[in-house]
Amino acid sequence: MSKHPLQYLELPRKDPEKDIPEVRIKHYDEIYASYDGAEAASQAGRCISCGIPYCEWKCPVHNYIPNWLELIEEGKLFEAAELSHQTNSLPEICGRVCPQDRLCEDACTLNNGVGAVSIGNIEKYITDEAIKQGWRPNMDHVKDTGKKVAIIGAGPAGLSAADVLARAGIRPVVFDAYPEIGGLLTFGIPPFKLNKDVVKTRRHLLEGMGVEFVLSTYVGTDRSFSSIYDEYDAVFIGTGTYKEISGGFKGENLKGVYKALPYLIGNVNEELGISDSENPYVDLKKKNVVVLGGGDTGMDCNRTAIRQGASKVNCVYRRNEENMPGSRREVSNSKEEGVSFLFNKQPLEIIGTDCVTGVKLASTELGPPDESGRRAPKIIQGSEEIIEANAVIVAFGYLPDAPDWVSENAIKINDYGCIDVASEENLPFQTTNMKVFAGGDIVRGSDLVVTAVFEGREAAKSIISFLK
Amino acid sequence: MAKKYTQGLYDPSFERDSCGFGLIANIDNKPNHQIIDTAIESLKRLTHRGAISVDGKSGDGCGVLLKLPKSFFSEIARTLNITLSEKYAVGNIFLNTDLQKREKTKSIIQSCIEKEGLTLSGWREVPVNESACGEVAKNTLPFVEQIFVSCKDEMSRGAFNRKLFLARKRAEQELTQVDECSYILSLSSETINYKGMVMPEALPEFFLDLKNKNMETSACVFHQRFSTNTLPEWRLAQPFRYLAHNGEINTIQGNRFWAEARKKYLQSDLLGDISDIQPIISSYGSDSMSLDNMLELMQISGMSIIQAMKILMPPAWQANEMMDSDIKAFYEFYSCHMEPWDGPAGIVLMDGRYAACSLDRNGLRPSRYVLTKDRNITIASEIGVYDYPEEDVIQKGRLGPGEMIAVDFYEARILNNDEIHHKLKSGAPYKKWLRDGFRYLDSQLIDRKIAAEPMDKETLVSYQKMFNLTREELKEVISFLAVTEQEPVGSMGDDTPMPVLSKKIRSPFDYFRQQFAQVTNPPIDSLRERVVMTLQTNIGVSGELFDIKAEDAKQVIINSPVLSQQKLRQLMSPDFYGDHHAFIDLNYHESNDLVSALKRMCSEAEEAVRAKKAFILLSDRYIKSNMIPAHALLATGAIHHHLVRLGLRSRTNIIVETGVARDSHHFACLIGYGATAVYPYLVYQSLHDLARKGSVDRSQQLGRSFRRGIRKGLFKIMSKMGISSIASYRGAQLFEIIGLHDEIINRCFIGTVSRIQGARFSDLEEDQRELAIHSRSPQIALSQGGLYKYVHDGEYHCYNPDVISTLQQAVKSSNYETYIKYAQLVDQRPVSTLRDLMKPLPIGSPIDKVDVEPVSHIIKRFDSAGMSLGALSPEAHEALAIGMNRLGGKSNSGEGGEDPSRFNNERRSKIKQIASGRFGVTAEYLVNAEVIQIKMAQGAKPGEGGQLPGHKVNKMIAKLRYAKPGVGLISPPPHHDIYSIEDLSQLIFDLKQVNPEALISVKLVAEPGVGTIAAGVVKAYADLITISGYDGGTGASPLSSVKYAGSPWELGLSETHQVLCKNNMRHKVRLQTDGGLKTGLDVVKAAMLGAESFGFGTGPMVALGCKYLRICHLNNCATGVATQNNVLRNEYFIGLPEMVINFFTFIAEDVRYWLAKLGAKKLEDLIGRTDLIELLPGETKRQQSLDLRPIIDSDGLTKDKPRFCTDLYNEPYDKGEMAESMLSETMSSIKDKIGGEFHFNIANYNRSIGSRLSGEIARLHGNHGMADTPLKINLTGTAGQSLGAFNVSGLNISLTGDANDYVGKGMTGGRIVIRPPESRNFKSEDTVIIGNTCLYGATGGHLFASGQAGERFAVRNSGATAVVEGAGDHCCEYMTGGVVVVLGQTGLNFGAGMTGGFAYVLDLDRKFVDLYNHELIDIHRITPENMEAHTHHLRALLREHLNETQSELAQDILFDFRSFLSKFWVVKPKAAELGSLITSLNEAA
Repeated sequence: MSKHPLQYLELPRKDPEKDIPEVRIKHYDEIYASYDGAEAASQAGRCISCGIPYCEWKCPVHNYIPNWLELIEEGKLFEAAELSHQTNSLPEICGRVCPQDRLCEDACTLNNGVGAVSIGNIEKYITDEAIKQGWRPNMDHVKDTGKKVAIIGAGPAGLSAADVLARAGIRPVVFDAYPEIGGLLTFGIPPFKLNKDVVKTRRHLLEGMGVEFVLSTYVGTDRSFSSIYDEYDAVFIGTGTYKEISGGFKGENLKGVYKALPYLIGNVNEELGISDSENPYVDLKKKNVVVLGGGDTGMDCNRTAIRQGASKVNCVYRRNEENMPGSRREVSNSKEEGVSFLFNKQPLEIIGTDCVTGVKLASTELGPPDESGRRAPKIIQGSEEIIEANAVIVAFGYLPDAPDWVSENAIKINDYGCIDVASEENLPFQTTNMKVFAGGDIVRGSDLVVTAVFEGREAAKSIISFLK
Repeated sequence: MAKKYTQGLYDPSFERDSCGFGLIANIDNKPNHQIIDTAIESLKRLTHRGAISVDGKSGDGCGVLLKLPKSFFSEIARTLNITLSEKYAVGNIFLNTDLQKREKTKSIIQSCIEKEGLTLSGWREVPVNESACGEVAKNTLPFVEQIFVSCKDEMSRGAFNRKLFLARKRAEQELTQVDECSYILSLSSETINYKGMVMPEALPEFFLDLKNKNMETSACVFHQRFSTNTLPEWRLAQPFRYLAHNGEINTIQGNRFWAEARKKYLQSDLLGDISDIQPIISSYGSDSMSLDNMLELMQISGMSIIQAMKILMPPAWQANEMMDSDIKAFYEFYSCHMEPWDGPAGIVLMDGRYAACSLDRNGLRPSRYVLTKDRNITIASEIGVYDYPEEDVIQKGRLGPGEMIAVDFYEARILNNDEIHHKLKSGAPYKKWLRDGFRYLDSQLIDRKIAAEPMDKETLVSYQKMFNLTREELKEVISFLAVTEQEPVGSMGDDTPMPVLSKKIRSPFDYFRQQFAQVTNPPIDSLRERVVMTLQTNIGVSGELFDIKAEDAKQVIINSPVLSQQKLRQLMSPDFYGDHHAFIDLNYHESNDLVSALKRMCSEAEEAVRAKKAFILLSDRYIKSNMIPAHALLATGAIHHHLVRLGLRSRTNIIVETGVARDSHHFACLIGYGATAVYPYLVYQSLHDLARKGSVDRSQQLGRSFRRGIRKGLFKIMSKMGISSIASYRGAQLFEIIGLHDEIINRCFIGTVSRIQGARFSDLEEDQRELAIHSRSPQIALSQGGLYKYVHDGEYHCYNPDVISTLQQAVKSSNYETYIKYAQLVDQRPVSTLRDLMKPLPIGSPIDKVDVEPVSHIIKRFDSAGMSLGALSPEAHEALAIGMNRLGGKSNSGEGGEDPSRFNNERRSKIKQIASGRFGVTAEYLVNAEVIQIKMAQGAKPGEGGQLPGHKVNKMIAKLRYAKPGVGLISPPPHHDIYSIEDLSQLIFDLKQVNPEALISVKLVAEPGVGTIAAGVVKAYADLITISGYDGGTGASPLSSVKYAGSPWELGLSETHQVLCKNNMRHKVRLQTDGGLKTGLDVVKAAMLGAESFGFGTGPMVALGCKYLRICHLNNCATGVATQNNVLRNEYFIGLPEMVINFFTFIAEDVRYWLAKLGAKKLEDLIGRTDLIELLPGETKRQQSLDLRPIIDSDGLTKDKPRFCTDLYNEPYDKGEMAESMLSETMSSIKDKIGGEFHFNIANYNRSIGSRLSGEIARLHGNHGMADTPLKINLTGTAGQSLGAFNVSGLNISLTGDANDYVGKGMTGGRIVIRPPESRNFKSEDTVIIGNTCLYGATGGHLFASGQAGERFAVRNSGATAVVEGAGDHCCEYMTGGVVVVLGQTGLNFGAGMTGGFAYVLDLDRKFVDLYNHELIDIHRITPENMEAHTHHLRALLREHLNETQSELAQDILFDFRSFLSKFWVVKPKAAELGSLITSLNEAA
């Protein structure tokens, strides 16, 4: 009860060890080590239990962060794991891939110069360590309701929905086109950020809870939506966003220009030994690579290219560093690993006749904030230049791309191409087809993993009420 | 008779009164007219203790109760041809001015008298002179007649008076139907009562009888009233028929209920059947009136008034180890049958046999007596109330706490307290009865068979969900209590909606707000004055008071009402009540409804009592499927009231086995509504589970620790209302209910204040049904909570992350647009406060903003709320002051002093606060204020004191507070010089003497009756009043106080405004409100509800970077706002005065926006315009069933009277003429700093003498600037209260005579010497020379008094040196510095809470070891070998005492110093080194 009130000042924030760049670029393993129990406890003890837990407020799933920090401080690992799972279905994954420096740790009161509590690393520690020590979700008192729900898409939204439903005694069956679960968690995020074993472990947990996976099954072709619709008590759609945003400039179809997602998936496939003709492996060894885009996908491409042995990687972004959407942590990891950043540069054209040879850029300056509050870049006249490149990766993000069977089943799609769940009369995340629910990127456009987790969980809660 | 009407938020039952009182009696029972003259002279000299109406002439009432002047009335009868029997009775009666009604009344009285077989001998019109009355009094002037009644000669005196009593009671009963104006003052063969709403000097002018030299009496009780109420009533003047009371009965509600509950058993055979004249104890009128009723009933039923009074107002016998066991048995026996009537009380009482004076257990009212050679004894609130030659004085003294002194007219002698006890204890074999009858539960016994059976995990969670227990509560409340044995402490205020406004399921307990004492009665310090507190609970049948027998002592005694598993099982075992209890299931089938379930429980309870079950066990422990529990509080209240109504309640006990009781408030509610004891099984089960999980240490006895924590909490809740004994708290319903519908009040909580309706049974039941669903759904996890700390999806918090971050952005960027975003977040939030249901209406069409008064005008109305340096970092404190000063608003120093380097520049706080700790309060501090604010209570913890933990007392804080670094500092719950409204008036007078230019402000907290208190405060001459809401912030406060005490300011402010307007006082005072004000709209609404000034606490703090972390009490505030840690202050504090300036400018600008929109040119146009408030329907069912009309009620408010303050200054009636003439005589000596010697005579009505001079000296030269050239002021006579208050260096006062209370309070330098006159016939060391609470908050200077001091000598002394020759209870309480020498006996509880300084006590009779409080201090002998320094020091002080006072005692001691030395104790804080006491003293000097 009585802890030292000034612990947070006297014990500075300390993140787990990180591999040095020279070593880590040689492999695809995660670059961060994990806390041991003592480190986790003392770092968790830095939390001052604010009257307003800003971390929890900023967290999209509203994790009970101060509470599990306290449990870790007290050494109650399993309780912490239970509590962590009360708000989050994939805490060990969020602990790894969330941009904490924009969310919980950014909001942390101690982020005023003292040093925010290392929430992400502790979150990761809790579940990793608990599983290692034998903890499993407690399903003892779940009574089977006899209901079953189909979940289309085994990404973070779908997995989270499955988790919540299983705990309520509703049997989830998850369909996915890919041979492994996780969606972008497995195929989009490079293994040096999220080791694929982590996803596998999660799969075992979920299966242990009674979640059934039907993989390598593309709904619409391998299995008709209507058959699923008829067979199950409700359906959840969490198919995500896979359609690339193109730059809309000349030269995008040149050889040597790659879309970010297939590039990343191809690389993971190679690692996992999966053959996938749609996402072939691209090797950028000894290439002079330019990555266009400053988001987290861009960073993933940067660092994958480095690991493939690219001779040079330039990352081009049209605003300044301050305004980058990517996690600051990933930007700095990229820099450490040898990526060069070209800020305030807008790509105008990809140069080359057959193969790419360079990228034409213009310098920009930031104009006044627009409606969204972000400052729009303006091109400075006469500042064009061409930088050399023999590979270009376009990482401008993704757009939702709902399968055809969606609209065929009276599920409304809105102007942005997303599934519409905005009706106030309906339950949260219920589509215009009352039996169908949706969440994640297919509903809101591409966003963070943790947002998809939140939506999947909320949708599942709606399904529970719907099935009552 | 009962004029019971309510209007708006005002209720006549809120009235409080207090006053000056006294008794003069001739021991030999020899009548003399002189006694009447002296009584009236004394009353005149106590004028300053009473109050005066707005007409300047009507008093709140005064009167005399005379021993019947027989020769006078015999003569009158003769002249009127009235034939009287040998024994006869006379009575005065107030009658209707209407002749017809009067005749009707008289005929009713006549027939009632004749029905008793008595003879009405005649009537006489009492000669009165109306011109003696003021306008207010004249308006309600009754017609006064006298009645003469005769009896048969053979009738005994007792029988005669009983018949008179019955006749009067029956007449009163009939008259309530006929004529509400009539009132029989008294009707007795022993005494007669003259009283009215006049000033004391007018009493004999009005009642010409009193002027008549032929009227001779042998004894007279007199009284002058200071009422908070101003709606005048003649009958409420005192004395009543038997007594006059100075103070307040805190327990009155409970006493009245219990009188009702016991009515069947409060019948004496002597009286016969009196069921037709119930209720005998009036449930309306003043508390004193009800007490008089009870005393009368007991006396008439055959008990002596001294015994009756001792039973009603016993001393604190439980913890008094020095009390004779026989007398203890007397008190203990009667405690089974009558709960104490407790509260600050000085009572003078009289019947045919005795005249007496009695003090309450805390001794909170002063009472001094003097016995002169003519065998007259005079007892009064003050000494020196009439002029007697000093050489005639035989004895002078004072009553101590719980003591009584009486004159026995039959035996013609004075009975002191011991003699009275001796008489009482021999009345019956009490000790034997108790020995045979009392049984105790063995708490050590651990019998495996009766140990708790733990619930399995799933059952436990389903119970926790059923009873809405959250993880937050488990951790913050239950575990905390069980681990630390303390209530959890938190900081900041409560920013969540009241339950009726909430959209979450809230506990029914949350609708209850604890009441607390402010101004009219003091809270108690339950920690430091533990000796007066008791939780002892008896389980048994309450007997018949007038027919006592051994059987009545058959009781089971438990030391607290919080039961353990073992105790409950023991009670239910065959050895105890195995067959004598009834089980009532609180659970009912879902298909039923709550109300019929409650009805079923009531009839089961009734049946049980009729079957003579000793207790009924209400239980929600055994929930079967499809059953839901009725809330234990609803059931307890309903059953309690049902049994009270039937007169059965005292025949059984209610024990509650429940899952709903978890924190001290829950227990307090259950007990407050009648529960005898509570068994919180769900807490024990939850603790067991936490221990199993390892969340709390299982080696600890968690249940026991939890109970200890709750016990402390209960003490705190009781002491907040000034109640010492749980027996008086039980059933007293000391709560305000906010947000329950009358259908619930009328069934379960009858008589509790509840003013705005709200939730119905169906709403509460719906909540429970939903909880039941959660309870049965395993996939729903235990809720996180969120009542205290913000949680997503939990309760709404007004200071939520969005509000805070937007505000901080706005003030940081100086961007008004961002402010508007913030204001929208606030103004459009879900309904969270009462004002959110109010919408301002325009007074005309919108006007252009340029026509609205400028920001600079509006800002003048803004103050920052009092936040002390100590709570805040110096950087934050100064940024706030600088910001406010640059703006033209005012910042408030808070309690804790101010560095003199800030006095003359923009870092100064214009408002200086004076709180109960008096830290840093000196004359110089006071003269550097524009406003002096007396903090009576604080929104976050009204009725409580505070503690600044040692780790927060760094060097700077210590210096400002005159304390030592690292030593914790305690602020007592009460101001020890304010136990009553006239005491507040005295403090205001003191302050106006020190600084006549400052305005005096009094800070109150909203609660029912705050308006009436405010009216009293205006009559005490305050210039400003602040009404704080419950949501005010705090640096540290128990969570249960943050959550459960105080009302919303909307209620308090509006009530105050209504009462002041109705009483034509609104123009005399500026009204401020504070509590959660955030935007211009808040300001506009507050103005419409009556505020003209606005206080902001949390808002400007947030502007300075506070993030509402609620860790202020830990000194680790990460934003550097509320910490003294250097690193945090220097590196992480980001606040700038500009942010404060932005904050207030934005709000003022926002106000202007609203003014323009509403068509008002200035804020003034909206003040008090409740007619411009439209009530919104609300968003939820509960909100929709609220009735907020009383808040905006404007009936009876005259439109043409001012709605805001128009007087600049509320000038006291007492012009302090003596002080002014002293000043003009000495002014040039002060100006030129040359000193000089001056002589004056003084009397008890010359108050605060010296303070005026100290103020001037401090203004011109500072606290110590005139130390080398002092003024010598020689005084002769009896000094009024506050002699030498706030004395500074350069003022040496020397008084020959004696002095009243508060000598040298706030003294910081100089010298006060008091010695008895040389022509005396008493020993100085046996005689009281100064009153109570002397040297309170003194920080320096010297006091020598050759005589005894009263209660609480040197309380909170932090630097003065004093020598006295004896002292009362609680000497050196909370002392933090200085030296006190007591050359004689001290009272109980010496040195409680003493953390600094030291004392020498001469202990000739070896009692001191039992008298001092062992918690913080230890005592040591002085031996010449090892303590040379102390020997020298003590001898030097004694020599100085001798030099100054010529004390014979000092001379004797010095003469034989070596042998006396071994009888002295050195008393010091345990933490201090014995060897370094003197050295550190020298360092301090």
